[in-house]
Amino acid sequence: MTDILETDAAFFDGLTNRKRSVRVKLGASLDIFDGERRIDSWTLDSIRLVDAKSSGMRLRANGASELARLIVDDPAFIDAIYRNCPQLLVEEHSHKSSTARIVGWSLAAAASVLGVIFFGLPLAADRLAPLVPAALDRRVGEMVDSQVKVVFGDKLCTEPDGKAAFLKLVRALERSGGLDQSPSADVLQSKTANAIALPGGRVYLFEGLLDVAQTPDEIAGVLGHELGHVHHRDGMRMLIESGGSSFLFGLLFGDVTGSGAAMLAARLMLNARYTREAETRADEFAIGVMHGLGRLSQPMGELLVRVTGNQRGQSPGILASHPFSEDRLARMKAADKAATALPILDDAEWKALKAICKPAG
Amino acid sequence: MNIALPGAPPADPSSLPDPTTQRVVFDGAEGDFVTLSIRGALLQLVTFGFYRFWLTTDVRRHLWTHTSAAGDHLEYTGRGRELLVGFLFALAILVPIYLAYFLIGVEVERFQAFGSVPLGIFMLFFGQFAIYRARRYRLTRTVWRGVRFWMQGSGWAYAARAFGWQILVVLSLGLAWPWRAAALERYKLRNTFYGDLAGSFDARASAFFRTGVWLWLAALAPVLILISAGAIYWATDETRPVLAGTIAAIGGVLFLPVPFLWPYFRAMEWRWWATGVRFGSLSVECDLRGGQLLKLYFKFFIIASLVSGAAAGAVFAIGAAVVEQLTKGGSGSMLESMSSAFESNQVLLVAGTTLGYLIVGLSVGVVQRYFLQREMWCIVARSLTIRHIDAAENVVARGEAANAIGEGLADSLDVAGF
Repeated sequence: MTDILETDAAFFDGLTNRKRSVRVKLGASLDIFDGERRIDSWTLDSIRLVDAKSSGMRLRANGASELARLIVDDPAFIDAIYRNCPQLLVEEHSHKSSTARIVGWSLAAAASVLGVIFFGLPLAADRLAPLVPAALDRRVGEMVDSQVKVVFGDKLCTEPDGKAAFLKLVRALERSGGLDQSPSADVLQSKTANAIALPGGRVYLFEGLLDVAQTPDEIAGVLGHELGHVHHRDGMRMLIESGGSSFLFGLLFGDVTGSGAAMLAARLMLNARYTREAETRADEFAIGVMHGLGRLSQPMGELLVRVTGNQRGQSPGILASHPFSEDRLARMKAADKAATALPILDDAEWKALKAICKPAG
Repeated sequence: MNIALPGAPPADPSSLPDPTTQRVVFDGAEGDFVTLSIRGALLQLVTFGFYRFWLTTDVRRHLWTHTSAAGDHLEYTGRGRELLVGFLFALAILVPIYLAYFLIGVEVERFQAFGSVPLGIFMLFFGQFAIYRARRYRLTRTVWRGVRFWMQGSGWAYAARAFGWQILVVLSLGLAWPWRAAALERYKLRNTFYGDLAGSFDARASAFFRTGVWLWLAALAPVLILISAGAIYWATDETRPVLAGTIAAIGGVLFLPVPFLWPYFRAMEWRWWATGVRFGSLSVECDLRGGQLLKLYFKFFIIASLVSGAAAGAVFAIGAAVVEQLTKGGSGSMLESMSSAFESNQVLLVAGTTLGYLIVGLSVGVVQRYFLQREMWCIVARSLTIRHIDAAENVVARGEAANAIGEGLADSLDVAGF
């Protein structure tokens, strides 16, 4: 440009907050004059726009004092600044392109965290769960146990004859499965038709399942399944997985709105998927245990179908995370050959077990 | 929105007789803010929430840069990247704490019943530390007339004070609040500087107490009346249900206006706080009225309800349309085909619900930023008058920009403070 444009402006030198009335001249560079004295000179490509305000223009320059600011109000001069300072909006523009970068990196970070949650954690849980000392496993089990008792009540069924039959059944399954530690097993007085295994080798059979069972083999199969969970240390595995995933989700989402729901949903999905694999393995364990005792696993499958069949269409319970009962029954049927031994419990023992929660008399 | 103070040359003599007395001006355009807020919400959705650091920065830049005193606008020099780095540092600090706590909790399981108490107390304490450090970050990114604010003092010392006073506040059923506020503001402001100009806090807790105690009584009286109604009903030998019922009804009616006292309390606290702020001989006055805040909360509540309702409706309608596409040709009611579609595809259900929830949450976030951040800022800023602003002239720049770890901690711990 040939002609030099000049105007009045306000200048803060960034060293004191004194507002100086200055004369600025725009030529090959932007020169700032206090009276006759030139107090600063900014090269055109060092000039940057500071956050736009409602009126006027606020400028700074690279290389000048960090907080030195020039405030210009003259529209013609502002126009000239826009035309002559090539880097004026470089930060606004890089702000826009950096948005694309932020999106890209965020997706990469999220993908990496999700990868750890869906692939890394199950792998880590598989490797870590067997390494957890039995003592720690038991302690965690005690923690979970107290929660179970809050949910299902803490009434254990202890009718002596029934208890003896129950223990006989459990010990037989234990020997057949070759468990390295003896689990503590009990019958809980609860109408829920289910059985659960906790970390630290603790198995609960619920009275509700005993009520629907028709033969000892049915109950034996279910207990074999729970012992499978104990043998595979699925409780600890699940604890590592769900604890780790909720922790990582928490880190990922920070305080963004709705993170709670996202976390919960993702964990539900994760646990459902996880249990399905663990359940299949526990079923395989139960089949093996029953065959080891010379009995069939099919009755267990029939018991499952009997239980879930009644619940179909209702609110999904704990059993909902298992594979479909029909598929489980089919697999057990396919695995079974023929029974080679007598039932584990005789009729009298089975009767006593069925009545374990009912006081004698 | 056009505010009648364009460029505001130092003191318009016709409006204010004394040029050293200046009202704070806020002249931000509503449209700009709504645009940046909606854009930020959309970017949060596609970045798994990571954009929050840049959105926070954009919001602050907008608010700061449109706020001026004596014609000179504030400037916010913080950047989103700094907040991200602060967040990552905060993670590095908090993750080992959480892990150690988990292991200790498992190891010492006989204390398990009280297991979360020590961590909770530690986090409350740590949260106050984070608030102090976050304030320091924001303050050192605040520039006026080419000179930054800055802050010294120790986050731990502040946390200890805040924590100790909080215990007294709880024990005194809230009556100690003015003394807590005064002690903390004294600590914050005597460690606050604008260049080489030192701040201080001069308001007396007793003044706050004298005006606030009436609100405290108005809030507590209905509770006491209800308790005494219960006492009469259960504790006396001859049960007097009519008397107890009457007293309970009186207590219930008196309780109705209690939630509406909150904005009046906040406004009172702001006015009291402003009278205490000093930078040299510079002082501040605030004429914020409780009615202004009440109106603001009311508007926020209405709009947030409408927006979240509309967003939820839209999400549900889209979900229903998707399901209809998936189950084309199927018979049965809408709800049946919806549940059967979801049964066969759990991932779809989880993803759909999560997305819907996020959309509703982010819409409410836009409304919240508009009313509880922008409008709140605007109302409070415009209520402020600065006296003896000439005391803030010829201030020499001092102080360095502080890091954003405090902001990261506050973000992770979900605490906020002013």
